[in-house]
Amino acid sequence: MTPTYMNIMLAFTISLLGMLTYRSHLVASLLCLEGMMMSLFIMATLTASNTHFPLANIMPIILLVFAACETAVGLALLISISNTYGLDYVHNLNLLQC
Amino acid sequence: MAYVLFTLSVLLVMGFVGFSSKPSPIYGGLALIVSGVVGCVIVLNCGGVYMGLVMFLVYLGGMMVVFGYTTAMAIEEYPETWGSGLEVLGGLLVGLMMEVVLVLWVLSLDETVVVSFSDTGDWVIFEGEGSGLIRGDSIGAGALYDYGRWLVVVAGWTLFVGVYIVIEIVRGN
Repeated sequence: MTPTYMNIMLAFTISLLGMLTYRSHLVASLLCLEGMMMSLFIMATLTASNTHFPLANIMPIILLVFAACETAVGLALLISISNTYGLDYVHNLNLLQC
Repeated sequence: MAYVLFTLSVLLVMGFVGFSSKPSPIYGGLALIVSGVVGCVIVLNCGGVYMGLVMFLVYLGGMMVVFGYTTAMAIEEYPETWGSGLEVLGGLLVGLMMEVVLVLWVLSLDETVVVSFSDTGDWVIFEGEGSGLIRGDSIGAGALYDYGRWLVVVAGWTLFVGVYIVIEIVRGN
């Protein structure tokens, strides 16, 4: 477990904690989701380079493609929230009422 | 300079703390871009030239731009930066302090920090008269269209359906 891998996994965990805690904006959690995807991409690319297994480079590329798709869906939800409520504050999402 | 990869990974963690402490999203996007640049340099240091380029173009050049102008649509009048308020500043300082303590502890353990990361270098092929030169990661990513052609078809179809989903969400009602 080299310290560089430890730092990258720590970056993933920090982003995960950032995504799970809400402050006021919803798009900040989407940004933390992007950070998670980026740290996974970096870790997979480093693993594929260091184990000399070039075929494993397919996985980070596909991960990036689907992360972009997921970002698009998340931003579309954000836009529809912003069109209804004006801003994307989390405390506006109170339809559930529990 | 032997510790450059470790230093870059420390900078990556600090950049991640910068947007995980949840300032206003426009500053979070800035921290994500900086983290993305540092992460790309990490990937380049380990011999992944093609993957670093893909990350720069697709991630920073595409998705962050989209994030930037979407955030500009849904932003308040006085965005909250890292120094304006105790919550964000406290989160940032706690994260940085945690990283510094961790780095000092790891460096005091007296284990080899650098040796496990050997770069791939170039793979030289000897084919008859001449010799060719390939990079491992671009060949590996190119194999997506060779061995993984069904994956390309499925991913393409999924993205096509995803675009329709996005259009229906934005249209609403």
